[in-house]
Parts: sequence; structure tokens; C-alpha cells
Amino acid sequence: MTTIVAIKANDGAVLISDKRASKGFFIGAKEVQKIYKLDDTLGVAMAGLMSDAEYVINVVKAERNLARQRRGFRLSVRESAKLIANMNYSAMKSFNPFYTELLVAGNDAEGPHVMSSDMSGSITTEDFTASGSGSPMAYGVLESGFKKGLTLEEAKDLGERAVRAAMERDPGSGGGVDFLMLPLNSFKAKVNA
Amino acid sequence: MEAGRYPYFYGPEGRLLQVDAALQAVSRGSNTIGIQTEEYIMLSSQVKPTRPLLDPMEKIYNIDEHIGATGSGYVGDILKLIDEIRLESQRHRLTYDTPIDTASLARHLGNYLHNYTLYSVRPHGASVILGGFDALGLQLLQVDPSGTYFKGQAFAIGQNADAALSVIEGEYKKQMTVEEGAELSTKAIKAAVEEDPLIEFGLVKKDTGKFEKISPNGFKARLPESG
Repeated sequence: MTTIVAIKANDGAVLISDKRASKGFFIGAKEVQKIYKLDDTLGVAMAGLMSDAEYVINVVKAERNLARQRRGFRLSVRESAKLIANMNYSAMKSFNPFYTELLVAGNDAEGPHVMSSDMSGSITTEDFTASGSGSPMAYGVLESGFKKGLTLEEAKDLGERAVRAAMERDPGSGGGVDFLMLPLNSFKAKVNA
Repeated sequence: MEAGRYPYFYGPEGRLLQVDAALQAVSRGSNTIGIQTEEYIMLSSQVKPTRPLLDPMEKIYNIDEHIGATGSGYVGDILKLIDEIRLESQRHRLTYDTPIDTASLARHLGNYLHNYTLYSVRPHGASVILGGFDALGLQLLQVDPSGTYFKGQAFAIGQNADAALSVIEGEYKKQMTVEEGAELSTKAIKAAVEEDPLIEFGLVKKDTGKFEKISPNGFKARLPESG
């Protein structure tokens, strides 16, 4: 019960979400944070069980910090997504899955990336992706509005329209829009620092 | 339990007898060298002469596409350490879906070796030199039985390593062709072993980022174009 969207732009990646947390047919909370900034170069948007998602995100955050200190450079976006997928996969195989789908967006030496990993442990790499109960509505806007080479600002506007469209018709989504922009030059600044 | 009573505890001078002995074992091994230039890392190791019907021992090891290693000391110990880092580099690929960086591999090997200095077991009588290419560029590292690892431009281990190293220190240049690097390594090994040694070479090139092996004394025959 959520709408989250991730879009890859020319000069970065952006995550957009609604703010509603549902408890069955009841609105459990109206201002929930569904986007997490792990550091200056990586963000994650979550759909599904909030507690599971937060746990996975915290572990990946710790692993990223550890890896950066140990080897002297950051985990790439794909490496981070792979860590999430590994956790999801092993949980699924031990019949105790994390009930989440996470959208991973960020920048690395190869540029901006958008990936998603669901509870089965798969990873998909895409130009744009959406998840949650509002995703069919969001995809309608994204499929017609997305083109290659968007600027980060344009990508953010498109994502916001997609989430707002979902909020109009999906009872599981609402309460306003949150977003996190991850500009490519903030990664470059970090690398050169 | 007074100090010095057991070989696996600290000795009276605060030294670890077993670790010292392991380093001693390394310095009896075949002369082995790693040098790093701007364009490549070259690993070279003396292959000890054998009987006519016996194939010479392999001394340069492929660890992963982008990393090579060599070692000195007890060959059985070297082989076990090589297997351990091959395993770790595949483990890294499973966990992160990317090739492991050379320093992380050295760190893993250091941790692995360090474990054997803490308990009443024999530490590995082998040092390993790793050369690889990763996001930080070319990296050359040496890992000792104590678990210590060093990063640098040139290392020499095995018998008479000091003699070999002083040859390299005297003539090392950042810009050397592959052929010059091979010549310098050969000269250094010759200075250490005082005979005409059989040498095996390995090369990690910056432009390809790949590791390749070159068979004993077949260097000129199989010399890549960049030389």
C-alpha cells in the first residue's frame, strides 16, 4: 500500500514517494518517510512492511560504511543492490521473507543507476521503475512521459506527477509527496574530496 | 605459566617464537619478486631445479581475472593460502557481483594468517605477493605469516631477499617497458641465488586490467606487443 517511483536522469537519479501508511482499510499514518538517504550517493525507497524494509536498509547502510573504510572506495549502486538482493533471497529460502520491495537509486563511477529488488531476491536495472499498490497508475504517467536524457529536475517533476496520479485513484496511497534527488556531481565531489 | 615456556606464547623478549620461525622459513624459500611500474605489475619467482622427469613447480598463480599472486616458503603452505584467496575472490563475486579489489584480498589473507598466530598451532611458513588491478588502479601488496600486509612498488621475499631488493632499489624506474622490468627482475633474482635460475613471470597490465602468466624462461618468446 504505497506508491514509490525511481527515475534515472542524465545528471543523477531521483526517488519519489507518497506518505501514507495503511493498516488494512484504515489510514495508519499520514506523514510517513518512505525514502532513506544512506549517504550522499545512494538512496532507497521502500514498499511493503516498513519494519522489514528499515531493517534491510540499516544493514546495507552499515555494510556500505564498513566497505568504504576497509577498501577505500564506496560500494557501487549495483553492489549495494546485490547486498539487498542477497538478504532477500536467503530470507525467502528460509521461509521467512522480508516483506518488501526496495527501489535503489544512486550514482557511482559508471554514472547514475536505478535498480529494484523484491522479496524473491531478484534485481532489475531500469531507466525508471515504480512499486507499491499505486504503481499501475504511476506507470501510466511514467510510460507516456519518460524519455531518455531527462535532467534531474525534469525527472523529479515526472515522478511527482506519477505519484500524484496514483494518489488520485489508489486508496493505499496519499498524504502528499516526498522526494530525494541524488545529483551525479555530489558523487564526483565525494570521489575527488 | 611463565613467559617463554611454550613456543606459541610470547618469548622472554616479547617475541612470538613461532612467527619468527615462520618468517625464517620464508627466507629459505625460492627468491620471489613483485614490482609495480606505471603501466603494469610484474610478479617473478625462481623455480627451483628438479629432476629430469619431474615437471617444475608452478610458482605464479592466477587468483582471478584481474589478480595474480606468487609466494615463497613451504610450497604446501603457499598452495593453501592461494586456495584461500581464490575462494575469497569468488565469495566476493557472489556477495557483490563485482571483482574483488586487491587490498581487500590482502586484508582477508592477513586476517586469515593472523588467526594462526593466536593459538597453539603452526603459523603458515609462507609469504605471498599479490598484484592486481581495481578501481584504485594497479596495486602491489605483500602479506607475511604474522598477518601483516604492506603496499608498495617493489617487494622481494625468499632466500637472499635483501640482495635482490637492493638491486631493485638501485635500478627501479617508474617507467619501464615490460622487457626492462623482466630484465631487472631477472638480474635481482640472479644476484640473490648466484646461479642461472629458471624464472616464471606473471603480468597485470593497466591497459587491459587483466592478469596473465608467462612460462619459465619463455619470456621473450611469448612477450606481448607492448614490450
